Amino acid sequence: MPEQPFPPEGAIAGAGPGGAMDLTASEAGTLERHPRDPGADGSPAPPPGPDAPDPAGGRPRSLWSDAWRDLRRNPVFVVSSLIILFLVLISLWPSAIAPGNPLACDLAKAQQGSGPGHPFGYDGQGCDVYTRTVYGARTSVAVGVLATLGVAVLGSVLGALAGFFGGPWDAVLSRVTDIFFAIPVVLGGLVLLSVVTSTSVWPVIGFIVLLGWPQISRIARGAVITAQQHDYVQAARALGASSPRVLLRHIAPNAVAPVIVVSTIALGTYIALEATLSYLGVGLKPPSVSWGIDISAASPYVRNAPHALLWPSGALAVTVLAFIMLGDAVRDALDPKLR
Amino acid sequence: MRGATATRWAACVTAVALAATGCGGGSDSAGASGAVLSSSWTDPQNPLEPANTNEVQGGKVLSMIFRGLKQYDPRTGEAKNMLAERIETSDSRRYTVTLKDGWTFSDGEKVTAKSFVDAWNYGASLRNNQKNAYFFSYIEGYDKVHPARGEQSAETMSGLRTVDDRTFTVTLSQKFSGFPDTLGYNAFVPLPRAFYDDRAGWLAKPVGNGPYTVESYTKGSEMRLTKWGDYPGPDAARNDGVTLKVYTDNNTAYTDLMAGNLDLVDDVPAQQLKNVRGDLGDRYLNTPAGIIQTLAFPYYDKNWNKAGSVKVRQGLSRAIDRRQITETIFQKTRTPATDWTSPVLGAEGGYKAGLCGAWCEYDAAAAKKLIKEGGGLPGGQVKITYNADTGSHKLWVDAVCNSINNALGNDRACVGNPIGTFADFRSKSTTQKLSGPFRAGWQMDYPLTQNFLQPLYYTNASSNDGKWSSPEFDRLVDRANAETDPARSVRMFQQAEEVVRDQMAAIPLWYQNGSAGWSQRLSNVTLNPFSVPVYDQIKVG
Repeated sequence: MPEQPFPPEGAIAGAGPGGAMDLTASEAGTLERHPRDPGADGSPAPPPGPDAPDPAGGRPRSLWSDAWRDLRRNPVFVVSSLIILFLVLISLWPSAIAPGNPLACDLAKAQQGSGPGHPFGYDGQGCDVYTRTVYGARTSVAVGVLATLGVAVLGSVLGALAGFFGGPWDAVLSRVTDIFFAIPVVLGGLVLLSVVTSTSVWPVIGFIVLLGWPQISRIARGAVITAQQHDYVQAARALGASSPRVLLRHIAPNAVAPVIVVSTIALGTYIALEATLSYLGVGLKPPSVSWGIDISAASPYVRNAPHALLWPSGALAVTVLAFIMLGDAVRDALDPKLR
Repeated sequence: MRGATATRWAACVTAVALAATGCGGGSDSAGASGAVLSSSWTDPQNPLEPANTNEVQGGKVLSMIFRGLKQYDPRTGEAKNMLAERIETSDSRRYTVTLKDGWTFSDGEKVTAKSFVDAWNYGASLRNNQKNAYFFSYIEGYDKVHPARGEQSAETMSGLRTVDDRTFTVTLSQKFSGFPDTLGYNAFVPLPRAFYDDRAGWLAKPVGNGPYTVESYTKGSEMRLTKWGDYPGPDAARNDGVTLKVYTDNNTAYTDLMAGNLDLVDDVPAQQLKNVRGDLGDRYLNTPAGIIQTLAFPYYDKNWNKAGSVKVRQGLSRAIDRRQITETIFQKTRTPATDWTSPVLGAEGGYKAGLCGAWCEYDAAAAKKLIKEGGGLPGGQVKITYNADTGSHKLWVDAVCNSINNALGNDRACVGNPIGTFADFRSKSTTQKLSGPFRAGWQMDYPLTQNFLQPLYYTNASSNDGKWSSPEFDRLVDRANAETDPARSVRMFQQAEEVVRDQMAAIPLWYQNGSAGWSQRLSNVTLNPFSVPVYDQIKVG
């Protein structure tokens, strides 16, 4: 069924990703990913048979179920998603593991090392580094996830419209994309965010969306243009499907995979970007708690209180790494051609 | 082993020095470059016109290339005659200045009474738009050459008259007994003819009458100053020159000092204070300077100028644990303030320890009670505005806020409100755009109580950014200025200061020390009461 060159419209509409493999996988890849051949997907071939999760006999697997099956077996995915699950949980309920108040600081304890109940020690202002590191996860995860959502939605909508309608729309949008690409991110942040006085996460998210969408937009545009040339799309057009229907029902499901891949990888970099901007003093501002703010405050004290610098830096590094590893695993699963 | 090496070095250097003296020093011999020291610096805000330089970095150079009527003693801060032979008055209003003979500019021109009178008229003139013009405002006729609005109606001030080459008279528009003591300030130095003949050329390479001459200046990089061999004054340079190197970050300068690329740092970064003793040993100096840090308030904002505001300000003052902040953040390079002046003035000069009394002592319970009685914090929160570009302000603002939050038991009662650059911060505070307490540091221009009070708290004074106003304070300051007996004048200023205290016009935080660190090549490094290194006394080698 997946190889069926002209799927009836209903089949695509229902199963959606029926033709998805045509987009991401070449003909060779399509063959390689034959649903009945679990060992051929590139992962270390498991003993065929008993543990192969082969559902109801002839039911075709979609790209998504295939990808999910790959992911579950990928240790990188398992590790990174466990870390991310943990981060999400402490973002939602930081007090579960850190009973203290991140804004309570006692100067008398400034720069002290770890002690009972305060495993990470104290920073230059006498705030508990452990509590602040835990609470810092919330802003990082919030900025990362919300900025990624914003970038993905804005970028894919604009990119898809440009790719689908082409002509002058495409030309205009591509040049606008070029303009945004030309803005150096950190310089743009220094200029735009320095005029913002709000201490919430929204200006930072807005800024990342503003400068992040062109990347997704280009990917989405390319994917849409590729998908558009496939025969089933031509067939749908020939059958009289309207433009919105072709775009939403036939092209979008087949063009979304690369957007997801790039967005997931970008999520990690957005978290790092938030920390960078906060470090430079233009991102989040106190009393917000952010790893970037803490790293910035602790860095001049590195000779006397390195722990205050290392813990938030380590948390930031692990978080960014987890999201980038997740993005890698998702890419491997969705885009087997790259293997 | 180390000691032995050092001794041998010292012996060699002494030999070189002796040889140089023996050869008849003073002339620019090739060997002279060995005794040039390098020092950290940043570009001055304006070209080095004496009456247009009111910041530390430009003032540093002016104090090396100029000498005025008076010179502040590097140790005591006392104003002593330099070019002036005597300054006489009978009524604290009409002064007769007599110059010493034998002073010249480094281009050979004689320093005469006219050199002073012309320079002062130039500095006061509205047309020349000099930042320090208000220093001349006591002189009669200032309102004609520098009217508050409109065109100037005179070229020169009627209060200045040249009598002969070595004598001129100054008539003030009101009595001001401290006037002679202000004359050591940079704005009052003499200028040579070359300044008026070719101003652009002069600004590129200023010519003065001080112990050093400017050899070259590359903006953003360095200024080279060399010893003026024929300097007629008593405080000739004890080294062959100073190279001022531009640094935009005091942490970098400190690193360069440690690496041996720089001889002298006059601003040790707060974050390194804990290490500086270990890094430099006794090549580090931490000494009181005429600088006080305060929190000023926006009295143009009715939130901070209503019935209970005094109590709120007093409460905030009592919520700040000055002792702990100065010890922990600043490693005792600041001293908790107990009045609104500076210890460098000395008790006779008007410093009065403990004048603030209990209002400057930390007491969380009292602070909470006072703020509650005063109607609480306006809007439930105070935002302390500061400039974030110079290193240490964020540290203490955060610490002050934490102290207030802890005292009030509310972790959002106080937050810092950083403004990116000093220039932006200054323009916002001088145009009354700030809506909460803000950082106000004051470095004295001359060591008088008057300088710590009048420019900051007198109605509409030049640096009264918060627009505080008290008729009683103004009246007491006017009387203190008119008082001819210094002791009584100081007492009257202290009465005025008590008005400031009772209204808590600004919260005094701490007296700032000057700090300096230097390389093994240097000795005899001191800081004057303005926290500027006494360059001419530094010995190299």
